[in-house]
Amino acid sequence: MRMVNFRVPYSARRGAFFLVLILVVGFLLLPGQLQSVFQEVGGPLGWMISWPLRAVAGIQDRIAGAWGRYVALQGVEEENQQLRRELDLLKEQNGQLREASVATERLSALLEFKKQVLPTSVAAQVIGRDTGNWYKTIILNKGASDGLQSDQGVITPAGVVGRVVKTTASTAVVLLVTDPNNAIAGLIQRTRDEGIVEGTTQGQARLKYIPLLSNARPGDHVVTSGLVEGFPRGIPIGTIIRIDKEEEALFQSAEISPEVDPNRVEEVLVIRSASIPTEGERFGVPKPKP
Amino acid sequence: MKALIYSTVIVGLVPIQSVLLPHISFWGVRPDLGFVAVCLIGLIAGELDGLLMGLALGWAMSLFSAQDLISCMVLKGTVGFVAGLAGRQVVYLSPVVLVAGLLVVSCLAGLVAPFALQLSVEQDWWWAVWTVVLPQACLDAMIGGLIYWIMLSRWSIEQLMSESRM
Repeated sequence: MRMVNFRVPYSARRGAFFLVLILVVGFLLLPGQLQSVFQEVGGPLGWMISWPLRAVAGIQDRIAGAWGRYVALQGVEEENQQLRRELDLLKEQNGQLREASVATERLSALLEFKKQVLPTSVAAQVIGRDTGNWYKTIILNKGASDGLQSDQGVITPAGVVGRVVKTTASTAVVLLVTDPNNAIAGLIQRTRDEGIVEGTTQGQARLKYIPLLSNARPGDHVVTSGLVEGFPRGIPIGTIIRIDKEEEALFQSAEISPEVDPNRVEEVLVIRSASIPTEGERFGVPKPKP
Repeated sequence: MKALIYSTVIVGLVPIQSVLLPHISFWGVRPDLGFVAVCLIGLIAGELDGLLMGLALGWAMSLFSAQDLISCMVLKGTVGFVAGLAGRQVVYLSPVVLVAGLLVVSCLAGLVAPFALQLSVEQDWWWAVWTVVLPQACLDAMIGGLIYWIMLSRWSIEQLMSESRM
């Protein structure tokens, strides 16, 4: 039997307790400042932990890939046929949408905007999930050294995923759109009514503060309104599945089914907000002369 | 040697918690391996080690979570310190007593968390208790008990405790 000597000298114990006491007093007196100091100092620690994190994520990806390709093939043929049918339907819908996009100036401006946004976004891979149970987040393999910072929007081609809330040198934590602590400015595409999209505890999202006179209905699409930093206007968030109108309430709210399933997302685009052009720049509004 | 063991725990635990555990979550809830590790370290190595490891693990885990740094560090540090104080009061700790202790401490820490984190209105106290606190406490207790039982069968825990607390 091998034993490890865990003895600590008395003076070291006293010193450690003294340090902890200073830390606790610091947390009480200067919580914000000390938190930002620890976040900065935690950069190298985060960088160090990100290596085993990536390694474990890589191994897990390979195992999941092998499992998916060789073991979990039950029902794949049926799923394949269903997907083919859905693809045909989507191709048809896509053709119609393309025709409509050519006809409307607004949509063509949006497409132009997409071309502009693409170079300013950073592609990242999902390597992990939140270390706790209180928040719904994903961890990305890109961080502050790749230009990522808090409040930047995270999307996939299907729609909004969430918002960057924390970064280390090589990783970033993204709060998902389905988390109740997240809030994104949203817009009902058909009625142009604006509201705030928040997550729910059931893993869906909810559009709050819709005007009472709005005729929003299930099936309406909700997109980002572009009013807050992080997301440009027009990125899909979800589809309304239920309208909740309470008596004597000042606003109505709508339950939304998000376009992106956050539990299955693997690759994302992070929008670097500093480079997003303003509405005026996008639509070519002339600048006032000095 | 001790620093090496603790560093390995910190560096190894975060990837396991964030990459592997989401695949084996129950009802969408994962055990908090950091909490289990801090409790065991506090019990075996004393309140100082529990406190310092709690602070260090809380810091490392908060870097990969939306949870704020202070609540994460203070909660884990307190848990480690309390575990160390509790370990000082017992001569022999059976796995059953440890499981019961972990269940209680995890519940208490879980009940403090919603207030410390200032969660949204939708995540009220009852929601927290039924969907996060109780399932997580059960998982923490089970995993902690299992690890302790394995340690008990391989090493002399009492000797380890008395050596480390001298």
